[in-house]
Amino acid sequence: MIFTLFKKELKDTLRDRRTLIMMLVIPVLIFPIILNVFVGVSESFNEKAAKKIVQIGFVGPADSYLTEKWDTLPAKLGTKEINKYGDSISMIEDLRKDSLQIGIVIEDNFDALLTEHKPASVKVYYNGTDFGMVNRAEAYLEAIEEIAKQERYIEMELNQEELTPLDVSYNNVASDKEMIGKLAGGILPYIFIAFGFLGCMYPAIDLFTGEKERGTLETLLTTPVARWQILFGKMGVVVLSGLLASSFALLGLFLSIEVLDLVKDKELLAVSHSILSPKFVLMLYGLLFPLTVFFAGVMIPVAVYAKSFKEAQSIITPLNIVMVLPAMIGFFPGIELNEITAAIPVVNIVLATKELIAETLDVGLLLLSFGVMVTLAVGAVFISYKRFDKETNVIL
Amino acid sequence: MIKVQNLRKEFALNRQQRKELNTHDSASVAVDGVSFECRPGRVFSMLGPNGAGKTTTLRMLSTIFKPTEGSIEIAGINAVEEPQKARRKMGFLTGSTGLYARLTPNELIQYFADLYSIPKETTIERRNKLYDLLDMHDFQGKRIGKLSTGMKQKVSICRTMIHDPEVVIFDEPTSGLDVITAENIIQLIRDCKNQGKTVIFSSHIMSEVDLLCDDMAIIHKGKILFNGSMDYFRSSMQEKSLTGEFIRIVNESKTVEA
Repeated sequence: MIFTLFKKELKDTLRDRRTLIMMLVIPVLIFPIILNVFVGVSESFNEKAAKKIVQIGFVGPADSYLTEKWDTLPAKLGTKEINKYGDSISMIEDLRKDSLQIGIVIEDNFDALLTEHKPASVKVYYNGTDFGMVNRAEAYLEAIEEIAKQERYIEMELNQEELTPLDVSYNNVASDKEMIGKLAGGILPYIFIAFGFLGCMYPAIDLFTGEKERGTLETLLTTPVARWQILFGKMGVVVLSGLLASSFALLGLFLSIEVLDLVKDKELLAVSHSILSPKFVLMLYGLLFPLTVFFAGVMIPVAVYAKSFKEAQSIITPLNIVMVLPAMIGFFPGIELNEITAAIPVVNIVLATKELIAETLDVGLLLLSFGVMVTLAVGAVFISYKRFDKETNVIL
Repeated sequence: MIKVQNLRKEFALNRQQRKELNTHDSASVAVDGVSFECRPGRVFSMLGPNGAGKTTTLRMLSTIFKPTEGSIEIAGINAVEEPQKARRKMGFLTGSTGLYARLTPNELIQYFADLYSIPKETTIERRNKLYDLLDMHDFQGKRIGKLSTGMKQKVSICRTMIHDPEVVIFDEPTSGLDVITAENIIQLIRDCKNQGKTVIFSSHIMSEVDLLCDDMAIIHKGKILFNGSMDYFRSSMQEKSLTGEFIRIVNESKTVEA
């Protein structure tokens, strides 16, 4: 009987345009759109940055060591143009107006101090809102300082090696997979969770509040089907819709990488390929299933209680923030799955998925996260059952 | 056969409801000590003004609501103790019944037949018979949302009768319908009676009651004010018209209360 109900509700749900958009269209398009926009923006940003002639304002002696070396800097550091200024005030004004990107001020005795082997001061002015310009200034000045150092070693007949007591090399032992998993892996479960919730939302409201509002629930309750069977038949469709929304998001990701070729970074591409392995997908669904049941179990009592579609929507929409906000914790690189975070619903799924991507998942913590979600899902289903069994809730 | 004895239904009141109703009572009584009997092959009407307790009583009969006290027997089954078994024997139709707009009449009828576990061949046979009777063949494959009110009403009738119930419960079935559409319902009630089914329907329209029913109960504020045959009601009338008599009985009960 549950299957009869499930089949009918699924047919009904799949014929609802609003649900189809939330469950299928948006999830499939989200990754291609995000990646397309991201790739497009970053490519155009890089292109623009490479082409951009950095305007540098300069206050100081016209034929100083600095201006002389400036012209010898390698082209890879970017194209630049020097603009001479008589005073720093007008130069700063131009920096504020964005007609200059970097401003440099040196004293008149700059060259003399260098000759005396004393530190010569360089004041750099920049506009903090013009991202990347301070780094550009640093790169130019570090290159000039390096030239000056080499010249000084020769002049003073010093051996550079003798002046370098430590030869430090930093070696990252984390694999690309771990790096991407731990640093950016939170985005994937966040999108799955957000779509899982949205995917559940419309069917939950439509199949409970909507049916109550349309006056079809009363008829259904007079058929020889137990209320728990009606609840389970409907809940099955709500859970399936949530899982389908997440799955279509995954499909969108797959299409972006494999068909639309939107990921260009080789390391990221390699990691993405391994993420889309059957083992990963299976484990991800293992985590998503109790979470989606939990979402359905939280939404259904609200949908059963609400008297209109609008009322249900106005309660569930803020609930969306409460439920999906913890998923953002996955964006913070420092937070890891441990005995405490594994006990926090939603957070545990995000962190477990991150660990899953990074291939650093502890089985004990995975089971703890799964156990917590299953317990909560069972609790939520029980509350749904109690609500649905309350006669004043099911009839308007 | 429907046998109802000392039926009582209380609804718990929350703080806001107590405030709205200006009462300190923890519950409101919707139906209070209602007893009646509906026999096969006869139409029993429950007449009462709005808020009298008609719908609550019929919802208890159809097992949507559980009575606070009292017993209900539907076709020999204790409906309070075995609601699912009792539901197999009854058909339920209200004036406000909605239908699944995204399904077609064929899909909807099949769905309800499945819920009543009716074999496929029987469903097809009954469905065709009902389609012939109600002239439904032309729109059987159209989405219900695109049908007219009259067509929808026919689908509702077909849905109510697909499991050939022994007892049929109608809650204000013609409310909000035009005369032509309401005629389908009136014909259905007559057919049910002729087929020897037990029919109970609620209404606040006296003319409808006069047209159809054999037995009648007048209910007001959850209590039965009159229970007897239509013939007895007519013979003991103190007013000239049936509506006048109905109003007199209701007003008299108000005077007694005061």
